[in-house]
Amino acid sequence: MDPASRVPGPASPDSDRRARFEREMLPHLDALYRVALRLTGGSAADADDLVQETMLKAYRGLDGFTPGTNAKGWLLTILRHAFINEYRRRSRRPETMDLDTAEAIAAFPEEGLPDPRERFFDGIVDEALLRAVDQLPEAFREAVVLSDIEGLNYQETAQVLGIPVGTVKSRLFRGRRLLKGRLYRYAVEMGYVKKGVT
Amino acid sequence: MNCQEALVHLYEYLDRELTPDDERRVREHLTACPPCDDRFDVEQAFLRFVEARCRAHGAPPELRRRILQDLFDA
Repeated sequence: MDPASRVPGPASPDSDRRARFEREMLPHLDALYRVALRLTGGSAADADDLVQETMLKAYRGLDGFTPGTNAKGWLLTILRHAFINEYRRRSRRPETMDLDTAEAIAAFPEEGLPDPRERFFDGIVDEALLRAVDQLPEAFREAVVLSDIEGLNYQETAQVLGIPVGTVKSRLFRGRRLLKGRLYRYAVEMGYVKKGVT
Repeated sequence: MNCQEALVHLYEYLDRELTPDDERRVREHLTACPPCDDRFDVEQAFLRFVEARCRAHGAPPELRRRILQDLFDA
C-alpha cells in the first residue's frame, strides 16, 4: 500500500476524538469557568487552573462519556471533584462561615423585596452580587451556582453534587434566602433602600 | 389550594419542577390571589436578576486558546 494513503485523514481516531471534544465539551467552557470562579471564591488564576485541569481530564476520559447524555453535568462533576480533591486540599482559604451562623444572621424581611424593586436591583453592582454569592457557605453556594446561574434542574444538580434531590431543594431554599439577605443589607448600607421597608 | 400550600411550592413552581397538575393548581391560586401572585413575582424577579447578572461573563479567550494548545499542539 502506498504509504501516503496512510496519512491520518479526517476520520482518524485522533481527529475524531478532537472533533468530539470540540463539539460536545468545548461549548461548556463558559459555564465551567463561571462555576470554577465561584468555587474558588473569585480567584481568576485558580479558576483558570481548575478549568484547564477539568478539560484535560475530560479529554483523557472522553470514552467514559456517553454521547447524547448531559455533557455539562458530566464536566461539572469532573470540575467539582478536581476542586475538592486537589484545589481545596491545598487551599488555606477557610470555609467562609458555618451553616448555622450563616442562617442566624440572614436578617431579611420574610416577605419579598423592597419597593421599588427596580431600584433595588439596579443599585446592586455586579461585583457586589458576585461577592455575596462567594460569601455563601460552600454547600449552599454550589447549589445556587449550579441551579440559579447555570440552569441545571434539581436532578442534574443532585447528580453533580452527589446528594438527594430533597437536599438540593433545602440548600437552594436556604442559599437563596441568605443571598437575598446579604443583598438587602448591602442595599441598606448603600442607601438604596430604607431599613425595615418590606 | 390555599396561600400556605401555594407558598410551600414557591420554588418548585418557579423552577418548573412541579407535575403539570400541581403546576396548574398553583397557577390557579396565583390568578385568584394577588398578594401571593406578587410574592411569587418578586422571587421570580430575584432569580432572574441573579442569573442574568452572574451569567454576563464567560471564560477569557486566552483560556480557551491555552486549553486547545495544551491538548492538541503538544
